[in-house]
Amino acid sequence: MLIRFYDVTKVYPSGATGLFSVNTFIGKGEFVFLVGPSGAGKTTFLKLLTREILPTRGQVLLNGRNITRIRPTEVPYLRRTVRMIFQDFKLLPNKTVYDNVAFALMVTEKPRRQIGALVNEALKLVGIESKAEMYPDELSGGEQQRVSIARAIVGDPTVLLADEPTGNLDMETSWDIMEVLLRINKRGTTVIMSTHNATIVDVLKQRVIELDNGRIVRDDEKGVYEGEAEYNAVLPG
Amino acid sequence: MRYFLAEGWKSTKRNVSLISLGTMAVSIFVLGVFGLILMNLSNVNSNLRSSIEIRVYVEDNLTGQGLGALKQQIESIEGVHRVTYVSKEEGLSRLAKQLGEKAGLVDILGENPLPDTFDVRVFNADSTPDIASRISNLPHIIGVNYGQGFTEKLLSATRFIAVATVVLAVILLGAVMFIVGNTVRLSLVSRAQEIEVMKLVGATDWFIMWPFLIEGMIVGFLGSSLSGICLYVVYRACISRLGLVAPFIPIITETAPVARLCAGLVGLGVLMGVFAGGVFIKKHLEI
Ligand SMILES: Nc1ncnc2c1ncn2[C@@H]1O[C@H](COP(=O)(O)OP(=O)(O)OP(=O)(O)O)[C@@H](O)[C@H]1O
Ligand SMILES: [Mg+2]
Repeated sequence: MLIRFYDVTKVYPSGATGLFSVNTFIGKGEFVFLVGPSGAGKTTFLKLLTREILPTRGQVLLNGRNITRIRPTEVPYLRRTVRMIFQDFKLLPNKTVYDNVAFALMVTEKPRRQIGALVNEALKLVGIESKAEMYPDELSGGEQQRVSIARAIVGDPTVLLADEPTGNLDMETSWDIMEVLLRINKRGTTVIMSTHNATIVDVLKQRVIELDNGRIVRDDEKGVYEGEAEYNAVLPG
Repeated sequence: MRYFLAEGWKSTKRNVSLISLGTMAVSIFVLGVFGLILMNLSNVNSNLRSSIEIRVYVEDNLTGQGLGALKQQIESIEGVHRVTYVSKEEGLSRLAKQLGEKAGLVDILGENPLPDTFDVRVFNADSTPDIASRISNLPHIIGVNYGQGFTEKLLSATRFIAVATVVLAVILLGAVMFIVGNTVRLSLVSRAQEIEVMKLVGATDWFIMWPFLIEGMIVGFLGSSLSGICLYVVYRACISRLGLVAPFIPIITETAPVARLCAGLVGLGVLMGVFAGGVFIKKHLEI
């Protein structure tokens, strides 16, 4: 067992409900799409797993540990096993591709002599090793997202959370990113990805959890998008 | 560690302004000036206290025996350390010596106008007024003199300066906190993105805070060493000038205690820098 949400409710200080009484279970090595209309609670779901926010009620378990109860000093260690990527990449503009990825190891106090090999391996895995010495603003959006994925997986996390990772990318580039994410998932990393991209969800036939108004309204093995979002015509090929 | 030092230094270079360093240096300099005044006053004070003497003037008609008895009486008073008899003749020759070239005055006076005296030393300077009044109550005493009033004034001046120094130190602590805090705030803004990523990938709070603590330390060190050096140089210049112009002012001329004070100021600056850096980063990072 890996991730368990037990009666999780999140009400923001503003009064908005992020999640309402959510119960679910995600096993090790799964690939899960999180879908639902804007404001459904997808980002809230992911943020609870990195403990960027705390639930108002309920428990979030990771490997049997209630992460809503861990001490603040333990949060950094949680975030080394649960890494997150975003649609805006969050790369540091004044660092090269290589340094952006190495940064994630450096701040976790990894011994210096181990860093080089690990960074190169991660860059190779996402297919960007040839641009290691370039700066983020010299790269395309898809390439930047690859770098941010490399940074997320370089410490070998057990869970990779992706909040609309293809949100800023065109369809073709999105497929490249999906290919990278699936490859990482095949290596054993659990991947949870929120998305509005119906085509991707429908084609890949993975587990789909649909949220609406903070509630889980559907949870299908090998599901489809099924929402009101328009289908995108471009298919892989 | 190298990473922290490098980051702290880079960030300091980027965010510290000459104005804030200057303000800090001036603040600490002023504090140092007060410290020096205090040091000198207490030095004068302790010199004075160790040299304090009660001069007892004795009636003219007393013979050797009477003088001996009186000396014993004074010696028996508690707290009296030593009693020295100074005859009127000795007194006159001392006066002549003090007057130097103008010793002719003494001849003009003709008859020796001075009384016989006892110079009384006490163990504890604080008991001087008390002992002096007890001596003046003995028979055959014309009067006593121990520089009444002056010691008290010096003491209260020293106290005043001491209080002022402490008040000043508190105010300056505020100023230094403000300056370091401002520098740290600037670097927080310029590094906000980096800090966000650090938190994202699991840097510990200490890891995030170190560069800021070091930055506070560097700012504190730069500001205070600037003022420490200035203070030292200025004081040395004062000593040599004063030595020519007014050699009678008992100013501290050894360099060791002054250097110690300056080094202390630098230490204080560094400590305040680290402290201020820590407080502000803690507050603004909400960690
Ligand atoms: N920091 C916040 N403060 C207050 N309310 C918030 C905050 N974040 C989210 N919400 C509210 O919580 C609800 C769920 O938001 P959430 O961001 O989880 O939705 P989402 O499914 O990620 O939406 P989107 O597809 O637009 O990204 C919304 O009503 C939103 O307004
Ligand atoms: Mg969202």
